[in-house]
Amino acid sequence: MRIPISWLREYVDVPAESQAIAERLAMLGFPVAEIVRRPAIENVVVGRISSLERHPNADRLNLCRVDAGADAPLTIVTAATNVAAGQVVPVATIGARLPHLQIERRTMRGIASEGMLCSPDELALPPEWFEADGIMQLDAESTPGEDVVALLGLADDVLDVEITGNRVDAMSVIGLARELAASYRVPLRLPSFENPGRGEPEPLARVALESSDCSHFVLQRFDGLRATLGAARTRVRLALCGVRPINNVVDVSNYVMLETAQPLHVYDATHVAEQRLIVRDARPGERLLTLDGIERRLTPAALVVADEQGALGLAGVMGGAASEVGAQTTAILLEAATFAGARVRRTAQLFGLRTEASTRHEKSLAPALAEIAASRAAQMLLGMGARAYAPVAAGEQATPRAAVSRRRDDVTRLLGITLDDARIAGDLTALGCSVVASDGHLEIGAPAWRNDLAIAADFVEEVARMEGYDAIVAAMPTVASHEISSREYELEAGAARTMCALGYHETITYSLLGARSDNAVELRNPLSEDHRYLRTEIAPALLAQLARLAHPYRLFEIGHVFADEGGLVAETPVLAFAVAVERSGEPPWRDVEFLRCKGDIETLVRVLTGRRPRVERAERRGLHPGKCAALLVDDVPVAAFGRVDPREERAYAAPFALYAGSIRLDRLPEPLVPRYRPPSRYPSTYRDLALSVGAEVSAESVEATTTQAIGDICTAVRVFDEYRGPQVERGRKSLAVRATMRRFDGTITDEEADAAVARAVEALHKRLGATVRV
Amino acid sequence: MIELATLLSALRERFAAAVEAAADERALDEVRVAYLGRNGEVTTIRRSIGKLPPERRPGAGKEINDAVAVMEALLQERHAQLEARDVEASLEQRIDVTFLGTPPQFGSLHPVRRVIEDACGYFERHGFAVVLGPEVEPDYYNFDALNIPPEHPAREGFDSFWVNDSLLLRPHTSPMQIRTMQLHPPPVAIVAPGRCYRRDAVDARHLFQFHQIEGLLVASGVHFGHLKGMLTGLCRTLFGAYQQVRFRPSFFPFTEPSAEVDTTCPKCGGRASACSMCGGSGWIELGGAGMVHPNVLREVGYDPEVVSGWAFGFGAERLALVRYDVDDVRRFVDGDPDFFEQLA
Repeated sequence: MRIPISWLREYVDVPAESQAIAERLAMLGFPVAEIVRRPAIENVVVGRISSLERHPNADRLNLCRVDAGADAPLTIVTAATNVAAGQVVPVATIGARLPHLQIERRTMRGIASEGMLCSPDELALPPEWFEADGIMQLDAESTPGEDVVALLGLADDVLDVEITGNRVDAMSVIGLARELAASYRVPLRLPSFENPGRGEPEPLARVALESSDCSHFVLQRFDGLRATLGAARTRVRLALCGVRPINNVVDVSNYVMLETAQPLHVYDATHVAEQRLIVRDARPGERLLTLDGIERRLTPAALVVADEQGALGLAGVMGGAASEVGAQTTAILLEAATFAGARVRRTAQLFGLRTEASTRHEKSLAPALAEIAASRAAQMLLGMGARAYAPVAAGEQATPRAAVSRRRDDVTRLLGITLDDARIAGDLTALGCSVVASDGHLEIGAPAWRNDLAIAADFVEEVARMEGYDAIVAAMPTVASHEISSREYELEAGAARTMCALGYHETITYSLLGARSDNAVELRNPLSEDHRYLRTEIAPALLAQLARLAHPYRLFEIGHVFADEGGLVAETPVLAFAVAVERSGEPPWRDVEFLRCKGDIETLVRVLTGRRPRVERAERRGLHPGKCAALLVDDVPVAAFGRVDPREERAYAAPFALYAGSIRLDRLPEPLVPRYRPPSRYPSTYRDLALSVGAEVSAESVEATTTQAIGDICTAVRVFDEYRGPQVERGRKSLAVRATMRRFDGTITDEEADAAVARAVEALHKRLGATVRV
Repeated sequence: MIELATLLSALRERFAAAVEAAADERALDEVRVAYLGRNGEVTTIRRSIGKLPPERRPGAGKEINDAVAVMEALLQERHAQLEARDVEASLEQRIDVTFLGTPPQFGSLHPVRRVIEDACGYFERHGFAVVLGPEVEPDYYNFDALNIPPEHPAREGFDSFWVNDSLLLRPHTSPMQIRTMQLHPPPVAIVAPGRCYRRDAVDARHLFQFHQIEGLLVASGVHFGHLKGMLTGLCRTLFGAYQQVRFRPSFFPFTEPSAEVDTTCPKCGGRASACSMCGGSGWIELGGAGMVHPNVLREVGYDPEVVSGWAFGFGAERLALVRYDVDDVRRFVDGDPDFFEQLA
C-alpha cells in the first residue's frame, strides 16, 4: 500500500525522517518495499485569476491577472484553454522549481510573464487522473499566496508498505499511524468518529441481510449533495496512493477507506428502490453492469448487494453502473459493511476482479471498522454541505471480544526475556489493548478494530513487536536425546558422495515434464504444457543434458519419481545416472564402458548396503536389449542399467555413446556390517585355464561351476579374458580363467591343486559344455 | 720371498688409491671384485700362505684378515661418500611444478546439495535428526494441520500445483513438521530438506521447483531466543563467522509470533550502496520462522501449555545463490559442467 508521509504525519508526530520511519515500520512487521521520492517542487502558490484577456499579439495566448497573495497582482501569460476568471489555480512564481523546469521572468510576444499557471503534469501528478486538458484547479476557498506544495503534500515522500494478511486494519493511514505512535510512544491524533447523523430521527434507508456472509452492515443516507470535482488535497492524496479521483462524493468514500481500511460504497439514492438494500446470493442468470462498463452474468456463487429490482453491485468488490454517483446525484446511500473474506475472494475470483475494496474485504475486517468509517465519511460529507440522516445497522452489533486471561510468564516462556507486568501492559495499551493484572494472571482485551488477536501467543507477539525483536536475546538450546532417525537422509548423502568419488557430477532436472509416459501423474493446473506430468523416470532428462555437451561427461541426480497407481500416487526415491563416452570400435560381443558402469553401480550398492549385488541380464525400456543388466540384493531387484537403446540414442543426437541406469533407494536394505576373517598363514597357489565354451555361456556360470567343483580350498575364481576370432570355432568363445586356492591348516600341495582343477574341468564340461583349449 | 707385511702394505696402498679413484658405485664395485672378490688379489695372497712354514701360518692368516678389515672399511667409507654425493647432486634437480597435474576422475556435488548438507550437518551436530518425506502430499499435511483451514487466504499465497481435489505438490516442507510430530512424542528436533513446488513462472529469481530446508524444535522450555541462537549459528556456518542475523515481525498461520529472517549481505558486508546481491540494503532475506502455533501443537496431540517450539523454512536455492554469488537461479538446473566445476 502506498502512503504519503505527509498524510501519516497528520495523525502522528513521528520524530524521524522517511528512511528511519521505513526502517521502524519494517521492524514492526510492515516492510517498506520502496520510498518513492517525489521530485523537488518549490515556490508554487495558490493564485486566484481575477481577470483574463486575450494576449494582444497572440491569438492562442491569454493574459491573466492573478492574485497570488502579493501586494500587486501578477501578470501571467498562459496558453492553457481551461482557464477562466475566478478560478483558483497553482501558480509557479519567478524562481519556482518544477520537476522539468525552472521559472524565470520571460517575455512572451512583448509581454513579461511573472510566473506560470501549472498543469497537473508540471506538478508530477498523473494528468489522466486530473485536468488532462490544462491547468489544475484548486479549491475555491484556498487562500491566495499559500504554499501549494505544503498544502497538497506534493514533494513529500510516499512509502510503499507491505502489509501481511493478518493486519488488514493496518492497510490504512490510521492503522500505520497508530503503529508508529505506539512504537515511538508519541500521541496519536485521530479525527472525530462521532457520526453527525446520530440523533437524527429518520434513517429513511433500510437494510436486509439474506446471507450469512455479511455479518454487519451500516447504511446511511445523505441529501443535499452535488457531485463535482473533489477537493484538491483529497484528489492529490488519492492519486499518490494509486487511487483514481472520481468526484467529491466517491473521493470521500475512497479517502476514508485509505484512512480506516474499511471500504465504503456510495449509491445514488434515486436509483435504489424503496431505499432498501438487500445482501443476498446472486440469482442464476441475473445480470449486472459493473462500474468498469462490463456486463456480467451472475451465478449464486456471487454475493451481491441488491434492491427489490435486482443486483446493484458485487458485494465488497465493485459497484454497479445503474446506481453510480454522477453529475445528477443529489442524495446518496453510504454502505459500510463487513463481508466474509472468503466469500468476497470467491466473488472477485469468479469475475477475475481485484479491487482496493476486495483486497481489504477478503482479509475479513473487524465489524467495528464499519461504524468508524461511516462516521468519518459522514463528517466529511457534512463538511461538503450534505445533510445526514440517522445511520442504520443490520447484523450483529460489533461486540468487544472477550478478554484473554493469561499466565504472567507467557512472555518469558515464548520469548526467553523477562518483562514486568507494567512493561507488558504499557506495550499492549500503546496498541489499544486493555490490560488488567489480577493475581498471577493478565486479563487482556483486544482493540475493536483488530481481529487477529485471540490467543496468548498473539499478545506475546505484540509485546515482542513493541520491545523490538532485537530485544530478544539469542541463546543455544540444549536438545534432549530422541529416537528420530536420519537414515533416509544419510543414505542419500552417502549415495551422492560415492557417486562424486566415482567421477559423476550431480545435477538437478525438472520433476515436471511435457511428455506423457505410461502411468504418469497429471497435474490439474500446470504452468504450461511443457510441465504437465510428473516424471516417471529421471534418466531421459539427464541424457538430454548430456546431449547438449561437446565432451564426454557423467551425471547423476537423486530425486523422486512418481506413478499413478489406480488414482493413488506412488512416489519413489531413486538415484539415476547417465554417461556419455567416446564411441569405440569394439567387437559386438564386448563393451568396456558397460563394464565400467557396472563396476560403478556395484561399488555404489556395496558401499550403501555392505553387500555384493547379483547381476543378471535384464530388459528395460529405453536400454539396449542385449546390453542391459539388473542388480539384485537378497533377490530384490534394486537397480538396472545399460547402454541406451541405439534407436533412442539417435533421438538425443549426441555424438557419444550413452549409458544410463537407476537405483531404487527405497529398496536398499540396512547396511550389513562386514566381518573380518584373518587370511591363511600358508601361501596360496593358482591355476589358469583356457576354456572354449558356447558364446551364450556366462562368465558368472563358469565362475560358479568352478568354485563349486574346487570346494573349500577355493579362494577366488575369475574369468579374466574373453576372446572370439579366427582361432575360435564359430558360435563359441575362448575364456581365460584363474582359480586361486589355499588351505588354512597347511601349505596346499601341487597334487591337491591339480586334482581340484581336474574336478572343475570335468564339471565345466558336463554342465556348460566347456573344453580345455590346448 | 718378499715379506708378507710388505706385500700387504703395498696392496693396501694400491687398493686405497683405487678406491679413491672410483668415481661411482660401479667403479667401486669393480675395485672390490679385483681385490676382495673370489679371484681377487687377496685370495691369491691367501693361497700363498700354504707355502709358509706351519708355525708362521696362523700369524700370516691374521695379518691378511686385518688387512681385509681395513680394506673393507675403506670401501664402506667410499661407498658412503659416493652415496652422499649422489643425494647432494639430486638436490640440484629442478622440474616445472606448474605443469598440469594429472586430473583424477572425480565428480562434484550440486551446490544446492552442498548447502543442504552443510546446514543439516550443523543441525546434526546440535542433536537434530534429518528427515525426508513425500513431495505429493494431501492438503491435510500441507494446510489443514498447519492451521490453514480451507478458505484461509494463506492457501492462495502458496500457489500450488494440484493433482486432484486433495492432493498437491507440496509448496513447502512444513508437512514434515506434522508427519514427524505425529510419529514421535516430544522432544522433537529435526531438519527436513526437500524439493517443493509453486506455480512461479521461471525467471532469474524463480523456478517452479525449489528446495526448502525446514527446521523444527519442540520441547519444554524452548523459546524464541533459541531460534535466534540456532539460526545465527546456521548463517555463520553457511556464510562466515561474522554474519549478523536480524528478525522482523511477520505473519504465518502456523507460527505465532512469526518472523522474517535476514542476514547481513555476505557480498558487501552491508556496506555497498549498489550491491548486486542486497540492492544496497545490506540485508539478505532468508525466509520465515517463528514459534509453532498452539493449534499446530494441538493438532498432533501435544499440549501447548507444556511444550513450546519453533520452526523455520529457508529456500536452499536462495542460500546457494547468496553463498556462491550466482546471478541466475536457472543455472542450478542447466546441467552446465562449467557451473559445476567452478563451484566444486
